[in-house]
Amino acid sequence: MSLEGRVALVTGGSRGIGRAISEALAAEGAAVAVNYRATKSGAVEVVKGITDAGGKAVAVPGDVAEYADAETMIKQTVDELGGLHILVNNAGISRDALIFNMEPNDWLDVMRVNFGGVFNCTKAALNHFMGERDGVIINVSSVMGERGWVGESNYAASKGAINSFTRCSAVELARFGVRVNAVLPGFAPTELVAGLIDKDGGKGILRQIPMRCFAQVEEVANTVVFLAGPGATYMTGALLTVDGGASTVLGVGAPL
Amino acid sequence: MSTTDVHKAVQEAVVGALGVSEDEASPDATLMDDLGAESIDLLDILFRIERSTGVKIAASDLGDYIQGGIPDDRFSDDNGIISAEGLEHLKTVMPQLDEGASLEAEHVIQHFTVQNLGDMVAQRAAAGAGA
Repeated sequence: MSLEGRVALVTGGSRGIGRAISEALAAEGAAVAVNYRATKSGAVEVVKGITDAGGKAVAVPGDVAEYADAETMIKQTVDELGGLHILVNNAGISRDALIFNMEPNDWLDVMRVNFGGVFNCTKAALNHFMGERDGVIINVSSVMGERGWVGESNYAASKGAINSFTRCSAVELARFGVRVNAVLPGFAPTELVAGLIDKDGGKGILRQIPMRCFAQVEEVANTVVFLAGPGATYMTGALLTVDGGASTVLGVGAPL
Repeated sequence: MSTTDVHKAVQEAVVGALGVSEDEASPDATLMDDLGAESIDLLDILFRIERSTGVKIAASDLGDYIQGGIPDDRFSDDNGIISAEGLEHLKTVMPQLDEGASLEAEHVIQHFTVQNLGDMVAQRAAAGAGA
């Protein structure tokens, strides 16, 4: 197991992609702090699954949009699991709407959780990571941060901010022994994007993805495990797309 | 940790963080002017020192140490030139400075040497050990 002896904190780790990441890190031997804000039962279930399988995990409450919460989450992880080596900034929300109809709080809420969460948790972890000269940060972004989609201006902007922040933190933290990378999932069928596939079961989207299938959350989690582990020791500042080729094509890649 | 060990650890931190040779990181070399340290370099140096000596120093502590708790309006005059009282204190933390020099408070940190930093860490280490 490649992550034996490592401790990870996964924000928003109780469901969707975050849950898959928590479970995949644990399967590689990492002790995992599963952060949740609203769904305690989900986090407890993930923790139980990991411990039942012989792993080590704890549920850590906290709202990543609040800096004080981020500090508490980091402290609780270090106190209860004996360290921190891997921070996965995964927590995210969406408030899809056309810009014309969007309320000011729709962009602010999304920005505070998605980008604010990355900033808060990164900053809160730095004293520990830099003191140890050992740390890996993986930001779960989105291909939306590099491209555009109707109704997702606020979400895409927040992910674009995460991508820029990933590059800058990689540059600043490299000399302190801390690597920072991002994964950019395409379409993974989680609650977060349920609205997108409501219309026709997602057929209209599938036709635009070269691989003709949605991402399984485990496929995103596998990339996070890779970035967290010994196979990626020279990687920092990378934005890895995990999107079945969705962001690679020009238009739909062929005449309609 | 002996004072000699502390000074050795500080020199190693400077060498490691700035990528300079041990000769360049001599006791009388100034961190900023001679060795070109910028804020991120200072941070790196301080984290390396914390790791090797256990002494935690924040970047903001450097200014406080240099000024020795003397309020701004007494440390320097209206033109920002360090006062007699300020110079008197500086003799204890930066003894290499010329007596009677006309120094601007804002720039005094640029004269902070590897030796000065070592003295500061040694002082903190002794205070920590005594506590």
